[in-house]
Amino acid sequence: MILWVMPDSGAKTMEDYATLVALFKQEYPSVDLSVRVFTRNVLWRRIFTLKDPATEEMPDLIQIPHYWTALIVKAGIAENLSQLDPGLSLTDCLPLLKENCYQPGTKDMYSYPWWFDLSALHYRADHLKFVSSNPEEDLKTWQGLLSVCEALREQFGNIPGYYPMQNSDWRGSLSMRSALSCMWSRGLNFFTEDHAATLVGSKEFKEALRDYINLALKEYMPILRERGSLGTIVSGKASMMISRKQGISTFSARRGVRVRTLPVPATGEKSAAYLSGMNLFISTFSQHKKDALKFIKFCARPDMQLRYANMIEAFPAFEEAFEPFISSAPRLQVYKDILPTAHILPNMVIMGTVMEILKRVLAKCATQIVEHRFTQASLDRELDMTAKEIEFLLSIYKG
Amino acid sequence: MFDKKSYTLYKFHKQINQSFQDKRELLECALPALRDLFKLDRVYFFNWQQERAILSLKMMCKKEYCMDMQEDISVANEPAFLRQLLQEGVAETTDLSYPALYVLIRWLRPTMELKGGEVRSIMREKVGVLRLERFRKNRVFTDSEIDLIKALGQEISHNLHNTEIDQAKNQRLSVSTALNDLSTIFASSLRLNDGLELILKGVQRYFHFDRVHLYLTNSDGTRIKSVLGVDISGVVTQESGDALGEEEKQILKEVFNSPATYRATRSVIYLPLKVQRTKVGLLTFDNILSRRKIGYLDFISLQQFATQMALTIDNARLFERVQELSNYDELTKLPVRRYFNEKFAEEIYRAKRFGLSLSLVIMDIDWFKQINDRYGHQVGDWALKAVSKIIRSSLRQTDVPCRFGGDEMMIMLPRTNSEEAKVIAQRLQERICSVVLPDRTALEPEHLSISQGISTYPSDGATAEELLEKADQALYVVKQRGRGDFAVYREVAEQVPQKPTEEENQ
Repeated sequence: MILWVMPDSGAKTMEDYATLVALFKQEYPSVDLSVRVFTRNVLWRRIFTLKDPATEEMPDLIQIPHYWTALIVKAGIAENLSQLDPGLSLTDCLPLLKENCYQPGTKDMYSYPWWFDLSALHYRADHLKFVSSNPEEDLKTWQGLLSVCEALREQFGNIPGYYPMQNSDWRGSLSMRSALSCMWSRGLNFFTEDHAATLVGSKEFKEALRDYINLALKEYMPILRERGSLGTIVSGKASMMISRKQGISTFSARRGVRVRTLPVPATGEKSAAYLSGMNLFISTFSQHKKDALKFIKFCARPDMQLRYANMIEAFPAFEEAFEPFISSAPRLQVYKDILPTAHILPNMVIMGTVMEILKRVLAKCATQIVEHRFTQASLDRELDMTAKEIEFLLSIYKG
Repeated sequence: MFDKKSYTLYKFHKQINQSFQDKRELLECALPALRDLFKLDRVYFFNWQQERAILSLKMMCKKEYCMDMQEDISVANEPAFLRQLLQEGVAETTDLSYPALYVLIRWLRPTMELKGGEVRSIMREKVGVLRLERFRKNRVFTDSEIDLIKALGQEISHNLHNTEIDQAKNQRLSVSTALNDLSTIFASSLRLNDGLELILKGVQRYFHFDRVHLYLTNSDGTRIKSVLGVDISGVVTQESGDALGEEEKQILKEVFNSPATYRATRSVIYLPLKVQRTKVGLLTFDNILSRRKIGYLDFISLQQFATQMALTIDNARLFERVQELSNYDELTKLPVRRYFNEKFAEEIYRAKRFGLSLSLVIMDIDWFKQINDRYGHQVGDWALKAVSKIIRSSLRQTDVPCRFGGDEMMIMLPRTNSEEAKVIAQRLQERICSVVLPDRTALEPEHLSISQGISTYPSDGATAEELLEKADQALYVVKQRGRGDFAVYREVAEQVPQKPTEEENQ
């Protein structure tokens, strides 16, 4: 059986998967399980060529971001889990994650939750104490964040390569996933409620994106530099970072750096966190569907949920494991406040494409910023064109 | 005897100088080899993105494995570093807190270009960069190591070049084979529509397009008649050209009148299908959903295929037209008697096999001879056309009308009992009665009228001949009663004059 996954825990991904596979094989020694790791980009491309057995190695199980479920159903590459095992239930699953397992508008389940993560603001308490007597208060709003960034730069500007914010994007570029909180915080969404039109071209959306881009524009956050040379919280070359939990925990544990966590500063009325869920689906073409189902059930078991979430520093997707996980460490208590502010990307056929298009827009912005030719007008123009592209997609795929 | 450097190069050459399926496979071999040779903690391979002036990370190798990774480094952030890298082929980073060495890799890749209709191969330089890291023991790279790494970098360049050429050749071969297979399938399909469905599915599958659409024009190429499409679900759909929105029609009009269009950034190809100057249709391919780029080589191959496809569609249409001419009456556009008889026999068989009902209507235009005599044959022909047009538009898709001869027409109504047949007859009666003859001299408008006789399987007969005879007898009764009406045989059977017996005949 072949499992296609994404690098869930960065550079130690392979080691973590090796542990997981070993645990699985202890219980199911007769099942042969191999893991292939692909970046999200590669996996995105491969999803579309999965049907051609001549060109691809045929996977049995595939990890996907939660909002790709509608797409894999449309492409006809996912097995209907409700039919494969009518007993498979989502009763205990965290409510926000449930909708993303079904074919939209039906009760047919095509993907199953594995784990999820939440975005938050992390900061070095030893750095912040020089510029803020009350970080919780000062970092409530985006404006407050920018002011703290400015103060930090004045304080630590003499450290070579220092930036107030660490860039959490793996590519070291601007990332749409990091910008999502700015959008939701303003009460905005990608689409109108009926999913008939997009709001990407709206003034509010442009302003939300501008809030995030300002971090790079004002040089509070490095972009497109060597990863090793980026300002990091661990090396002391950065003091704050907006990232998922995975992005920060390893640093905190590794060097005893005291990192505290707060909700992402609000650009609008209230803070909003990005909840990114990871699901598993079984390929229609799999010859080992029963074994694949065993793996899904194995991963969903409370003990394995806890163990894997601890391993990759994410959150369990099921209540039975989530509660003990959150209660296991005082530093995790803050996520109890963050979870109710969480938003999730809608489960639509075109959602993955929309994220790809916006990634391209932000990549262009990043290049323009480092080459000092970025203008707000050029970004607005890009977003207007993007909105038209999304409207066209909506007209073809009806969401 | 070999010195140490030459021996290392020889070993490395032996290790990576083999046939690789693609660049990924080669890197999965070369990067671990480098890691082991120089006791590296990590080795990375970056692609150079010319349009964004960015080094874009593709693969990382550490310990026992290689993995896809992502990282973008802008040259604008590191101008001095890049200058050194380009001039000397290697550069040591100054930003990192541990030794890291960048090595430039250059190789050539074949690219297809189309100039004035001619396909030619050109070679374009491709650039990549290796990053070698030692962060555990902070061991710096010695000059002799850097020399050797540069030499090994050239070896990798050479193999990347060979691998890409092999890959391009294999790709070309597989595309040609695929298109050849598709042409064979298309040519062996008995029905045009079946063949087109197979082509769309095949092209989507071989080239991994999100969507493929074929817009077919009417016979003179002025209007889109139908649209066949297939998307990522693999299901082929067909709709009438009339269902297209105005905006889509406008776009199609523009691309129809353009030469073949390849929009790499938008992942779209438009290929107008033309035979001489007549538009046969339009093929569109897109990857709008997946955002995957469509290769230029694919565009060229599909363009050649489209020319062949246009000719095949045109031939198939000519064949259909010939068939149509032999099966349909030129004046009324109704099927001819021979075609009708074939269908009638098939339907009677089906009705018997599955216990279904079937009705037959025979009609003729009242006073048709007088119309011809009084107003001339042109008006007579006009009346025939008007009546047949109403018949064609009033029937269900499964009903088969026919011009039996002169002004006599017949309609076969499968799965229809006598009561349902009466409803249809009534509808035809009413619609035809509203037609006024185009005679300007008449004081009063003169309306057309028809008489109809109906017979039904199985109550009135079990064979085609019997049903025909009974319907004709019912028609006779209607005519006797003064025309302009319809009758079902069973209801008027008693009024039908008996055939003279053989004795009476004698």
